[in-house]
Amino acid sequence: MQASRARLFKEYKEVQREKSADPDIQLVCDDSNIFKWTALIKGPSETPFEGGVFQLAFAVPEQYPLQPPQVRFLTKIFHPNVHFKTGEICLDILKNAWSPAWTLQSVCRAIIALMAHPEPDSPLNCDSGNLLRSGDIRGYQSMAKMYTRLAAMPKKG
Amino acid sequence: MESNDNSKIGSSSSSTEDPNPCPICLAPVVQVSYLDKCFHKFCYNCIVRWTKVVASKQSSLLSSVKCPLCKTENFSIIHGWDGSNFQRHYISQVFGDNFFFSKVHRYRLQCYYTEPGIVSDIFNVLRYWKSRKYLQSNQWLQSWLRREIQALMQEEDVEVVVHHILGVVDSFLKRNDQHRQRETPETKQEEFKALITDAARPFLMARTERFVNEMQLFLASGLNIEAYDAVYMQRLGWNTPQVSHESAEMESSVQTPVVPYLHIFDEDSDEID
Repeated sequence: MQASRARLFKEYKEVQREKSADPDIQLVCDDSNIFKWTALIKGPSETPFEGGVFQLAFAVPEQYPLQPPQVRFLTKIFHPNVHFKTGEICLDILKNAWSPAWTLQSVCRAIIALMAHPEPDSPLNCDSGNLLRSGDIRGYQSMAKMYTRLAAMPKKG
Repeated sequence: MESNDNSKIGSSSSSTEDPNPCPICLAPVVQVSYLDKCFHKFCYNCIVRWTKVVASKQSSLLSSVKCPLCKTENFSIIHGWDGSNFQRHYISQVFGDNFFFSKVHRYRLQCYYTEPGIVSDIFNVLRYWKSRKYLQSNQWLQSWLRREIQALMQEEDVEVVVHHILGVVDSFLKRNDQHRQRETPETKQEEFKALITDAARPFLMARTERFVNEMQLFLASGLNIEAYDAVYMQRLGWNTPQVSHESAEMESSVQTPVVPYLHIFDEDSDEID
């Protein structure tokens, strides 16, 4: 408990200090609870998520960093490795490939990389995975782009 | 990283930050430890805790741990470097509750840094050979060997070495019975020493001679481990109660009954009572 608090405080200081270090990630800690964080990440360019801003919710366990944080998308996203309803993310480093050397910041980077490089063979969103697996890249991209526009972009007008 | 320099100007606290913190707690490294292959640096407690987490997720015995930074498989944690010595903590031992290298092991290892012969006036090795006491098997020898070799090799699993040496002792006794009735005790002793030295040297190297002497002293004492330690430490002037208490625990953990054997002290050791 103490160890996780101390470590999260270090990460908090680091985030404050390097706010402009990564313009694609904005990580904020809940004012009243250092175990709850929110991140805004920019959809990577040259993907159907380009131009969108996606919100992530972090729930950090007390055993952190020995246990990984729980992360999910709050913003709706059409991606094979993200559950369409719950926002749950299928990413090895958030499960058995977790290393305590990861930080919340680097987890955000890994999620951005996952957005650019989906793994259709371990899908949480079967529709999305099936499109990619059947080679229908255009179908996948247009669906993903539509949901990016619907959910991750400021409403026009 | 590029913005580091800029931010340092603005923030006074950042200048006191460790530039090379422990990757697990992100704080300055406490009790510096290294993984043996990739030599990445961690706090001792941090890397041990992480190894225990990894071990708890595996059904089989863990023999290596991936470095949290570079994923290299590592087999031990190097720690406690004091300029001349270090300790090595094998991954296969980490998840056991107690690290095997206890205070008693430390005491035995320290004995090898003292002058030899500190108890040789108490335990008469030559008389042991003259009176043919070596023909009686010593029920504590195996436990004593295990602990001694663990202490010297700083490894937990030394069963192979222990059995090797016990085997040499056994075959010495057998051959002794059949063919060497007329040899003098001194010849027998020399022969025994040579055999044990040959058997132990590949593992104990420079400490072999002293080990063979210590082994003979233990055999000549006729004592169990606890009593032998008490005599030894009294002679060294070291604090006995604490360690002898631990040695009792240690003996029970290797399932050797702790027999109150003090009444069989032979006359040579009366003076220490």
